[in-house]
Amino acid sequence: MALIEVRNLVKVYAKDVVAVDDISFDVIEGEIFGFLGPNGAGKTTTIRVLVTRLEPTGGRAVVDGFEVTEAPTEVRRRIGYAAQFIGIDDDLTGRENLILQGRLHGLSAKAAASEADHLLGVIDLTQSADRRAGTYSGGMRKRLDLAEALVHRPRLLFLDEPTTGLDPQNRKALWVYLRALNDEGITIFLTTQYLEEADTLADRLAIIDHGKLVAEGTPAELKAGVGGDAITVTLAPDAAESEKAMVAEALRSIGDVIDVQTLEGSVVVVYLADGGSRISEVVRTLDAKGVTPSRLAMSEPTLDEVFLQHTGERLRVEEVKQQRRVGFGGRKRRS
Amino acid sequence: MTALTETLILWRRNTLKTIRVPTVLFFALFQPLLFLFLFSQVFSSLANLPGFQYDSYLQFLVPSIVAFTALNSAFSSGMQTVTDMEDGMLDKFLIDPIHRLSIMGGRILADGTRITAQALLIIGVSMLIGTNYATGVLGIFVITALAALFGMAWAGLSNIVALRTGNAEATMIVGITITFPILFLSTAFMPELLLPDWLEVVAKFNPITYVIEAMRSLVNEGWVWEDILVALLVILVLGAVLLTGAVRAFRKAVS
Repeated sequence: MALIEVRNLVKVYAKDVVAVDDISFDVIEGEIFGFLGPNGAGKTTTIRVLVTRLEPTGGRAVVDGFEVTEAPTEVRRRIGYAAQFIGIDDDLTGRENLILQGRLHGLSAKAAASEADHLLGVIDLTQSADRRAGTYSGGMRKRLDLAEALVHRPRLLFLDEPTTGLDPQNRKALWVYLRALNDEGITIFLTTQYLEEADTLADRLAIIDHGKLVAEGTPAELKAGVGGDAITVTLAPDAAESEKAMVAEALRSIGDVIDVQTLEGSVVVVYLADGGSRISEVVRTLDAKGVTPSRLAMSEPTLDEVFLQHTGERLRVEEVKQQRRVGFGGRKRRS
Repeated sequence: MTALTETLILWRRNTLKTIRVPTVLFFALFQPLLFLFLFSQVFSSLANLPGFQYDSYLQFLVPSIVAFTALNSAFSSGMQTVTDMEDGMLDKFLIDPIHRLSIMGGRILADGTRITAQALLIIGVSMLIGTNYATGVLGIFVITALAALFGMAWAGLSNIVALRTGNAEATMIVGITITFPILFLSTAFMPELLLPDWLEVVAKFNPITYVIEAMRSLVNEGWVWEDILVALLVILVLGAVLLTGAVRAFRKAVS
């Protein structure tokens, strides 16, 4: 059953900035659905429409049977949302922050307190529960924020770049925890700009770039869609554009080549099925043109290649520092 | 959940926040006392002027300090709104399944609570240093209620600036800039008879004059119902205008 249904969703900000451009997808109950794309692709805009924080310009979004524009309160009751920029009250303790969110979701004082107790244990914050949240480290704030999204036991969890700003160790720990939540039956919609995260965590994923969905499927399907291995030819650093073009042209003439892409930094990538047995062909072709690559590498397709195949660019990760204080409304940078 | 329950949950949270930061709490309580002391000392000889019809300058001044504190305290309301914007808390409240007006309601109600505490402290200290209240405990209750309601109305203006600018400094500067003219262009520190003619006219158009006069009659004369009703009416109109403006600014800021 589709827990989220998005049809022809469009969001245009003032000054005709098209953040989301006619996208459609479903999220199936019980899955972890990844939304992969670079900064500014439209991930945050999409998630903020789904959690009822932003009005879409066009199209439809239905969450657990309720249209986001028509029954926002019904949607809000059913979802948990951890925004990219954490919302924590620094003057309250971790426990008070949790109880506040529980109460605002309609839990009785008693139920909110016991749920907070439980979650503080789960996120390993019991020791610091009664300290002001302003004294917490970045990782602790992130965990508290996530726990707040869970305090009313939603069946659907929205996470906007949950691991951005975390060190690799904390990132892996969070993956394990999200898996466990998913095993308990919580459907998770998450955005990420990390290929590895999308690959290991998502059951299915959609790739978004410049406001458009360019691919959708399981990581395995998407990788199979690349249809072959990638052989990356790196030319001399000072190679001219014309040389790159010439090399690309030559490589294209190899039989059964799926695709050839030229990238920044003197790189040409050729995709071909069963690349391992055909690397010598590539070398011979380069040789025939008198080109000596500075580096030659072969890889099985990863989401990196998937992204490249669909967008013509590599996914560039911009580390956005976890800001403590951010602007509001129009001044906040949305991706 | 009813809007009232939500408002009370948020009121509790906002009040807890005020108590939680000791420096803010200390100055919120200490500052009015400082003004009470400074003004009552500096202007004490005003009581000797012909035309000054109160027993002492202190008897005259205490309502002004209460109203001044309400005004000042009201202007910190918007600052807290800005903090909630910056901390991502407003964003969070907007995705909670609550009525959006409860967010403003909880804020204004907490302002009223803070002002009530401040007013009671000023009145308590003023009694210790010899102020007599003609209307007794009940009168003190009405003075405090007038202060709280007056402050809650002004909190609307502070929130309008806060929500329109999203900027703490702007909110503070507008607050300070407005507070002082309002105070000095009224009968806060000088009886009407002793004001220059033009100021006397200006003071009549200043809402705080009516609030202070009502409090003043409660302290010095007794139950002058006309004064109390006029003050309530002024507060009602002021509140209707400023709080409506704040709600509109809120809707605009969060859309």
